[in-house]
Amino acid sequence: MIAIPLVALVVGFTAVYLFLPAIPAEWGVYVSVAVLAGLDALIGGLRARLEGVFDEAVFLSGFFVNMVLATVLAYLGDKLGVEMYLAVVVALGIRIFTNLGRVRGLLIRARVERRA
Amino acid sequence: MPRTGVPGFWRGTLRQSEAGMNTGWRSGQRWMAAMAGVCLVLGALLGVQVRSQQQRGATESGRRAQALVGGLLTGARIQVENQQAEIERLREQVSRYEKEAADEKGMTRLMKEELQNYRVALGLMPVRGPGIELTLGDSTMRAGDTFGGQEVYVIHDWDLVQIANELWAAGAEAVALNGQRLVAGSAIVCSARLIEVNGVAISSPFTFLAIGDKANLMSALNIRDGSLDRLRVLQFQVKITPRDDIVIPALAVSPKYKLAQPVTKETSK
Repeated sequence: MIAIPLVALVVGFTAVYLFLPAIPAEWGVYVSVAVLAGLDALIGGLRARLEGVFDEAVFLSGFFVNMVLATVLAYLGDKLGVEMYLAVVVALGIRIFTNLGRVRGLLIRARVERRA
Repeated sequence: MPRTGVPGFWRGTLRQSEAGMNTGWRSGQRWMAAMAGVCLVLGALLGVQVRSQQQRGATESGRRAQALVGGLLTGARIQVENQQAEIERLREQVSRYEKEAADEKGMTRLMKEELQNYRVALGLMPVRGPGIELTLGDSTMRAGDTFGGQEVYVIHDWDLVQIANELWAAGAEAVALNGQRLVAGSAIVCSARLIEVNGVAISSPFTFLAIGDKANLMSALNIRDGSLDRLRVLQFQVKITPRDDIVIPALAVSPKYKLAQPVTKETSK
């Protein structure tokens, strides 16, 4: 079952990689922060699942809203001459690491409990 | 349901299954669908990013690296080839001189040919050939915008010097700026609010014409962080067009040498 999201990831990547033209260089940073926001939501969702509080509505809305928000912040920062994307990268980076740590802890605990 | 390393993970959640609240297969499928959807979008975004980065690498830094490495590798070989060709040419010239020195007519024809070459090199004759046209218009930004005062948004003499330099470095054989042929002694200087080339005042928009290898000239001008890149950031209207036939005019005023004396074998002693 873990294969399904992985397959989806590969399909999405391949489809765009093969069939879509490259985007202008100035958009690069926006796509980067969007990817980071998406990754954060994904790992947040995993953690919620493991903690038993997963909810599709929260997960999906979080994914899209955070992605848009991160991009808009980065864009606004550009317009204002403040490198806001750095704030986005730092904030999301910390969250991703925290959540990954929790996921790891939960998985190890589950394994230990199963052995016991 | 196939077992994964973690019991209860894919079917439900740890706490829920412990508490007997496992929402079961249906919720498991829905959660998987949500994950798959998110992964699809994420994958697509990664695809966009990787693709664009690769393209960028190939077009800019890659081209520069390629030019550098290629230049290093082939530079020596080309030099050897050039020198061999030069030796061949000189040898041929000597034999032709020897052969044609006999009759005066042949001699004058040879001298005429040679003179022609020097006239081209000195910019005394108009030349034509393939190359590029580069126009630089005013910036759409004004004083007070983002980067500073008005002096930032006008093209300076040093901008034009840098571009001319880059054109020569990329192997341009003849260059003109707003109709003024650029030669060894051409100066591009600021004079009051105008720019002077060869002592003639010119003003925006500036048009460079350069005869040379089109691809080489284009990539040299478009190099990342090159002078054009910097001008583009300031929103100057930069336009480069490759052309198959460019005519570059002759130098309007031929150079005069009053003080410099040629050194020949006799005078150098």
